[in-house]
Amino acid sequence: MNVLPNSDGAGLRAAARRGLRRGRDFVDETPPDALVTVTVAAVSLLAAFAGFLAVSSLTAVPFAVFLVATGYGWLRHQELTARVLTLTTTVSTILVLGLILVFIFAEAWPTVQYATVNVFGIPIPGLRLFIETRWSPVTPPIQYSLVPMIHGTVLVTIIATAVAAPLGVAAALFLSEIAPQTVREVVKPGVEILAGIPSIVYGFIGFTILSPWAADQFDIVGQGTYLFVGIVVGLMALPTVVSVAEDALNSVPESMKSGSLALGTTDWQTMTSITLPAAFSGVSAAVLLGVGRAIGETMAATVMLRGSPGLTKPLYNIFYGNDTLTSLIAANYGDADGLQLSALFVAGVILFVTVLFLSIGSQYIEARMRQKLGGAD
Amino acid sequence: MAGATESTLVSEDTTETEAVAAGAVGLAAVLFALSLAAMFELVTITDPVAGVPMVALLGGLLVLLGLAVIGFGVGSRLGYVATNPRPTAGLVASAAFALIWFVVGGLVASQTLGLGTAGWVVASLVTGGVGFAVSALPREDIGSTLPAGALAAFAGLVFLTGVIGPSWVWDLGWEQQASFNAEFTIPVLTGFCSLLVGWAAAKAYGGFGARGRHIGAYVLVYLNALSIIAVLFLLVAFTVLKGLPGLFNGFAFGAGAGPEVTLVGVTFSLPLSWPFVMNGVALLNDVNGVLPAIAGTIWLVIGAVLFAVPLGVGAAVFITEYADRGRFTQVVEIATNGLWSTPSIVFGLFGLAFLVPRLGNQKSLLAGMLTLGFMLLPLVVITSRESMLAVPDEYRDASAALGVTKWQTIRSIVLPAALPGIITGIILGVGRIAGETAPILLTMSGSVAPPGSQTVDVLGGFQFQSAPPFVTNPELMQATSALPYQLYSLITAGVGQSSNIGAIDEFRWATALILLVVVLGFYAVGIATRYYFRSKLQHE
Repeated sequence: MNVLPNSDGAGLRAAARRGLRRGRDFVDETPPDALVTVTVAAVSLLAAFAGFLAVSSLTAVPFAVFLVATGYGWLRHQELTARVLTLTTTVSTILVLGLILVFIFAEAWPTVQYATVNVFGIPIPGLRLFIETRWSPVTPPIQYSLVPMIHGTVLVTIIATAVAAPLGVAAALFLSEIAPQTVREVVKPGVEILAGIPSIVYGFIGFTILSPWAADQFDIVGQGTYLFVGIVVGLMALPTVVSVAEDALNSVPESMKSGSLALGTTDWQTMTSITLPAAFSGVSAAVLLGVGRAIGETMAATVMLRGSPGLTKPLYNIFYGNDTLTSLIAANYGDADGLQLSALFVAGVILFVTVLFLSIGSQYIEARMRQKLGGAD
Repeated sequence: MAGATESTLVSEDTTETEAVAAGAVGLAAVLFALSLAAMFELVTITDPVAGVPMVALLGGLLVLLGLAVIGFGVGSRLGYVATNPRPTAGLVASAAFALIWFVVGGLVASQTLGLGTAGWVVASLVTGGVGFAVSALPREDIGSTLPAGALAAFAGLVFLTGVIGPSWVWDLGWEQQASFNAEFTIPVLTGFCSLLVGWAAAKAYGGFGARGRHIGAYVLVYLNALSIIAVLFLLVAFTVLKGLPGLFNGFAFGAGAGPEVTLVGVTFSLPLSWPFVMNGVALLNDVNGVLPAIAGTIWLVIGAVLFAVPLGVGAAVFITEYADRGRFTQVVEIATNGLWSTPSIVFGLFGLAFLVPRLGNQKSLLAGMLTLGFMLLPLVVITSRESMLAVPDEYRDASAALGVTKWQTIRSIVLPAALPGIITGIILGVGRIAGETAPILLTMSGSVAPPGSQTVDVLGGFQFQSAPPFVTNPELMQATSALPYQLYSLITAGVGQSSNIGAIDEFRWATALILLVVVLGFYAVGIATRYYFRSKLQHE
């Protein structure tokens, strides 16, 4: 099947024709009652989804039809039904991401609209969220500025990255290149368990032990510092960095390392001049993912911070902690409604989009590295 | 790989100089441990140790160490000590030293000498430049010992002369006040200097050069791994120690000790009474417990698994077995990885906006289940796909050669072979979601301290009716509690609101402990499963 290279339209048309023909072949080859069953199942599932979206009490009816249709299909035409069912689950997985996008954007929109600013006559929605510096949802003038929370998130993330990145990469080097087998068997599950400790437990220990200690030690009025939230969050992001960086280091072909060692280098020279440079993009992807974890960490920040949005004075004062984007949502969702609730959704949108970009960026970097090293798949 | 370099190229016998260097490394380690002890206030910096004030002791040791390391470098440079250094200490080390000395110069100039901005910037640049030059220009033996040793000696002198004494305070003078005091600064400076000197001494032990760098770096990397494990151990041990008294409050064991239960029409007493796990919170309870939260967590996990596992495994089957590798599978991969890294609070917001209005317009157990299911979904897809990809293609080909259909191959060859990986992934994923607070905070949180009567009973809650939606379950539609949420509300509610819990602190720590036990239990099972299947694979 040749696609004309000089015209996109022709290519598209050819692809459409190909798809159509494949579809026709499929219809021709499939027994009619199987086709009907699958169609009924698909249509009823769509109807159930539509009913759920529309908050209809009749949602159960099409869903029951779907169950019956798939049950029948499973008994009579298992091959086709299995294929269609797995396709459905795949589509639903993508749909979840789509739904998250749509719903949190939709809920965020009123506040974005409220915060429109006219610049030279051109309305820019949401600009006021970023040029004001006061979060004041109750006392007039009502302002929903997210700047203080973004400032808090940035500070916490910087500190967390400063903790997680060097320690995590060093630990990954240790696990993948240095540690003897027996030591690795102890350290690796240890790092995984570190990832398993619930964030609220970290937050609780931070709240009852670290915060009072820090307040006493640094003579701070009240409790809650970005510094210690950052350290705790860094500790929580550490396992992500370790495991992804370790994968990257492991994906460097053994032949490259052996070649270097055969030249008479020490292990450490091989690591710094061969393994780390070769895995550099993978390691940076690990750090990016760690940053994403740190940005999205909620409970430790909520419990340990003061929950009073505002900028620290001076801006680089890390011995004081007001609020981050995540803790703002967790602490205020209860008594928020209307525009304030919508403003919380704006914070959620910022978090979601930032972390999504970090995730896609790190995947792109990893894919490029795999390509470069010529590894499998 | 480690075995490849163990050759006799390096002389085996320990020389006296090596012994001295090893002694210096050991002393640095002692000093580091001492600084940690002072940091955690196990020893106070004001108390004398063997008649010597602590600060003076630390200072004296630092000076000693610093001079020893400098002596090593100089001795090597003058040829008294046999080493094989490189021409320079390397750019990374030089840059690090430049930065350290830049900070030292700036702090001394601005704080101790009281120079203005211009003054301290100039002083910083000068000391930073000198630090860089001293480490970058001379041979490696001088370059990596002199700046480190000088810093340790300088810090030691500062402690010895009392410039930073036990009553020293540096008020940062910010509007939101913060200050450094001696109890924090002295241990931190000591710890930092001992790390630096320990690294330099380890390099010296290896005779500088490639081998010296190797040893110096390994000391730091091993220390890093050790401290990560130490932190983990401390966290868990601390929670266990604090939580145990509350957890086993009123614990009794023996025939008839426990509450009466009725199973299949037979009423009998349990042989065990564990009030913290069997009670709710009530005014008349001897010991308050977290039974509703435990039940809530269990049901949450069950619901999330029932929702996410079929979806996730199905999606993994489709993209691994049916779909051709191309744009579509790429999109699915990006979407699942994106979902995996989405912050938990965003899932909570999504549940609040999407599920709550559609499920009776109130926070409910079902909304929490589905929200956690959404979180679990990408993890199931990723781990299932990985373990299906790990099944060798020969298996599939052999099965296809027998003439069976694709679905039969998947069902009887691929899925069984991939099952261990899938199960491990699910268990680890469940461990993660069982401890999540943020999503359920927004979608199912109930009262702060629910009484035992509010324990959810999903199985008993089903009701059937003739009008749509035919099946209802009020238990699923109710807000309830779960362990992480209960801990959160106990922290934020404070003592005032939940005054019918007597020893609130004990209660909190016990809740934290039981949450930790539940979650780490899942992890332990997951990790053990993986080791079990792996060892089985290796033996066969």
